[in-house]
Amino acid sequence: MCFPAYPWWDEMGRFLRYLKNIFFSPRRKKSQEAALVSCDFKQRYHAFKLLLNANNNALEIMGEIEKLLSQGRPFGMSSINANCTAVLVNIYRMIRNLDRLAPGKYGALFHRFDAIQSDINHILKEKPLVEDKRLVIFISDIDMTMTDLVGGKMANLGEVKNVLGVNVPDGFVLTAYACEYFFGYNNLQLEINRLIQAVPFDDINKPYKLSSQIQQLIINARLPSDLKKLVEKALAALKERSRQPLTLALRSSALGEDSAGISFAGQYRTVLNVCVENIFQAYKEVVASKYSVTAISYRMNRGFRDEDISMCVGCMAMIDAVSGGVAYSCNPFDIHNDSIFIHSTWGLPKSVVDGSLNSDLFVVDRNPGFRLIQKNIPEKDKKIVCDPEEGVCKIDIAKDFQLLPSLNEKTITDLAKLTIKIESYYGAPQDIEWAVVGSDPPVIYILQCRSFKQKHKAAKKVCIVSKLDKEKLIAGEGIMASPGVAAGEAYIVDKRVDLLKFPENAILITRRALPDWAPLLNRACGIITENGGFAGHLASVAREFEVPALFGVPAICQKIKNGETITIDADGLCVYKGRIESLLENKFKKKNLMEASPVYKLLKKVGRHISPLNLLDPDSSKFSISNCKTLHDITRFIHEKSVYEMFNFGKNHDFEENTSKQLYHHVPMQWWILNLEDGFKKKVAGKYVLLDDISCVPMLALWEGIIAVPWEGPPPINGKGLMSVMFQATANPALNLGMRSKYSERNYFMISRQYCSLSSRLGFHFSILEAFVSERVRQNYISFRFQGGAADYERRLKRVRFIGNFLSDYGFKIEIKKDNMHARIKGYEKGFMMDRLKIVGYLITHTRQLDMITSSLGMIKRYHNKFKRDIESVLNIKMVHECESIK
Amino acid sequence: MNNKPMKILFVDDEVAFLETLIKRLKKRGMDVSGTNSGEAAITILEANLVDLVVLDVCMPGMDGIEVLKKIKGKWPAIEVIMLTGHACLEAAGEGMETGAFDYLLKPIDIDDLLFKLEDAYDKIQISKGKIKTDEGGLNLNIKKTVKLG
Repeated sequence: MCFPAYPWWDEMGRFLRYLKNIFFSPRRKKSQEAALVSCDFKQRYHAFKLLLNANNNALEIMGEIEKLLSQGRPFGMSSINANCTAVLVNIYRMIRNLDRLAPGKYGALFHRFDAIQSDINHILKEKPLVEDKRLVIFISDIDMTMTDLVGGKMANLGEVKNVLGVNVPDGFVLTAYACEYFFGYNNLQLEINRLIQAVPFDDINKPYKLSSQIQQLIINARLPSDLKKLVEKALAALKERSRQPLTLALRSSALGEDSAGISFAGQYRTVLNVCVENIFQAYKEVVASKYSVTAISYRMNRGFRDEDISMCVGCMAMIDAVSGGVAYSCNPFDIHNDSIFIHSTWGLPKSVVDGSLNSDLFVVDRNPGFRLIQKNIPEKDKKIVCDPEEGVCKIDIAKDFQLLPSLNEKTITDLAKLTIKIESYYGAPQDIEWAVVGSDPPVIYILQCRSFKQKHKAAKKVCIVSKLDKEKLIAGEGIMASPGVAAGEAYIVDKRVDLLKFPENAILITRRALPDWAPLLNRACGIITENGGFAGHLASVAREFEVPALFGVPAICQKIKNGETITIDADGLCVYKGRIESLLENKFKKKNLMEASPVYKLLKKVGRHISPLNLLDPDSSKFSISNCKTLHDITRFIHEKSVYEMFNFGKNHDFEENTSKQLYHHVPMQWWILNLEDGFKKKVAGKYVLLDDISCVPMLALWEGIIAVPWEGPPPINGKGLMSVMFQATANPALNLGMRSKYSERNYFMISRQYCSLSSRLGFHFSILEAFVSERVRQNYISFRFQGGAADYERRLKRVRFIGNFLSDYGFKIEIKKDNMHARIKGYEKGFMMDRLKIVGYLITHTRQLDMITSSLGMIKRYHNKFKRDIESVLNIKMVHECESIK
Repeated sequence: MNNKPMKILFVDDEVAFLETLIKRLKKRGMDVSGTNSGEAAITILEANLVDLVVLDVCMPGMDGIEVLKKIKGKWPAIEVIMLTGHACLEAAGEGMETGAFDYLLKPIDIDDLLFKLEDAYDKIQISKGKIKTDEGGLNLNIKKTVKLG
């Protein structure tokens, strides 16, 4: 066996010998040198401990990344940035500490690391370049090709105005570049990212604080003076063209907003009826609404990056509407229904958009003639109008008007015509916000329009609701705002503070269908409201997230108690007590919204440089730095080498207390032990160490498992199994006793009081166990790798799976790649960890029996039961699901 | 191993965060103080003995990386842990290469932070132990000679 020595150590040794000759008696020198070595030993051990700690962190973060990719849970850029940064820092720490153990020897790792880091950085920093740097653009100059500059909403408006000649209020847009300029001028993005990073998203309370912090930050920032000048100039031009006193409506028009299938409904602010002199404040408010709670959680849930969403803001002349509303060019959730749906109310369209007040519904046939098919005129007691000072206000509607339709038939027809005109221009169903001004003749203005995708109506289900179920009926009316069936605990939300307590997977019950409740849609499995219709934002978002929603159910808040289990059948317009299984059978699976998202794709791309493990076999010549393709490879390589270097050092100098000792338990045993720090109770001289002298907690626990039940000897095997073992033994030199490589031919423990690492080759397989057990519960861990072995690949695979399954029953997390198994468990208290070590010890002894296990399932099962029995009776450890101490 | 309590200086411009953290660590009997700018931190270090510095990255004026460079240049024995909301690969890389003990991201569990502080302090103690041994004999010279050789 050949270990390279350390040049600097050699040198020090030589120098010490030289000093000895000059100054000291041999005895004095010896103790001096020993003290130095032991001190150095301590440093090395500390570096090793730090390396192991970084290794654990790195593996844990990689697991976290895998989880993000596999579980379909929402996550944002801040998670990606944090995970990437943390994993890179930990790997850097590993490299640095390995360099302390073997200075210069693995220097090439720094270069590999740099290369991977720069690949990752490159992916994270990808950003489209802005070429058009105009800050302000008039609506008369805008068309569809300018989406990236003015946002989808304003590009659409410009297009219908300039190409179709539709009435659109006069105005201009502060472009995406203006927003970027404003942010850059104040260095806002950096500060915003920092704020987001520092907040854990699992706490529902935090986003509110975070959102208000960020919005304050933006609102308090200063606009660059050249930007202000340009806006003032545009305002002057607008004033000149306007016949009436000018006030403004400021509307968000975010990039990426309004593309089909992505609603962004109601997340961003629209500020209505703004005095000209307050435009800058209003602009900042709209821009800040990019960080409203709704918007933050929406981006999170849909996987959009903050940076990819720039806020463009449309500044339009305010239209003081007589009536207004929303028109759909066909039924949004029934692909077979192409009638035009017009929702309308008195005053500004705002209350239709946010679903806060009752509105009229007119359904119009789309064919020429535009026959009115259906109308629904509820009592409308309030309307929203422009306040004479500034802003808007809610006022009572005069008695005579409350029951009147808010549109006359001529206007309904005109509106239907206009709707079809815009739809046929875009070739897709349209969702149009409109306003009517004046009465003689009334003029229709389009305030925004966007394409939407019609949903397939869920096939008409014949739900067999039994008589008993009918008795459970709580309500049987309402408007289906989003199709589907769900059951869960009811939770009544009234005030904002109720949001904070909303339980996962509950059914949201509320009076009004406000967009404020949208952040709950990722946690709610259904929604029932007393007011609101399907045109509102909450309804759009519910459809997008495929959360069943039933709106307009009278007095539902009184009929249901908090915490009661209910079933909502949005298609059947029914709410039931308890779970109605016959309905729930029809439940369809929710689609994973994350998978197609930009953030998800980005993490997947980054993940390719992080997670895959290519270095499997430490004995192979491919186990080298140049073959470290991913960060996982680097961790695997470093871990292997660090153990090797620790051992190497212990074996290569002549101070006996730091060399490995053979374990002596009644007789000398085939186990060698290297004390790293405080693994022995006292100084041990000579070549043996007694078991009683060992203070290493994890080793003693493991040992107990190793010796608990004596090995019965090889099991009876069939001829095929034996042949296979023999063939492999001759074909694979690493398995041949005479040629085994490195330190793996014997069983080596490296120990301190709290740590142990065991490399062992028992029978034909190779295993590495590592454990840290202390009072630092959060840092406790066991890692057990098991690999190789005789027998053909199929059998090895079976054995590895057998061990993996077995350990997973006891709470280990298992990863199997080819015939490599890696089992990990962490973060439990001492007693629990010691029990797991006993189980691993038991397996180390008894898996020898599995070397020749046949392929028969019966035999595998038999061993599984025997192992389980032994562990329960001899070691007195229960399986995890029976064990209460588990977290 | 640590008989002397470690002296820790926290540098963070986020005063609310700083105050809470210091209060919590003091409750655990630690010798902790804080300041809200890099410049002030350097002044404190010039006048006081400090073992560990926990440093924010983004601060107005002198930023964390600059402070780190200054500390590592002037007082190499002080271990510095970066603790920041700034998840940025470049800053993390630069910090680690400049010799930060670790680069931690907010929010952090207080126990994890404590472990990290202990680990860093152990590192200091162990290297100090070495120096002590050196001074006990003639080995101060040995060290120099070895370096020359």
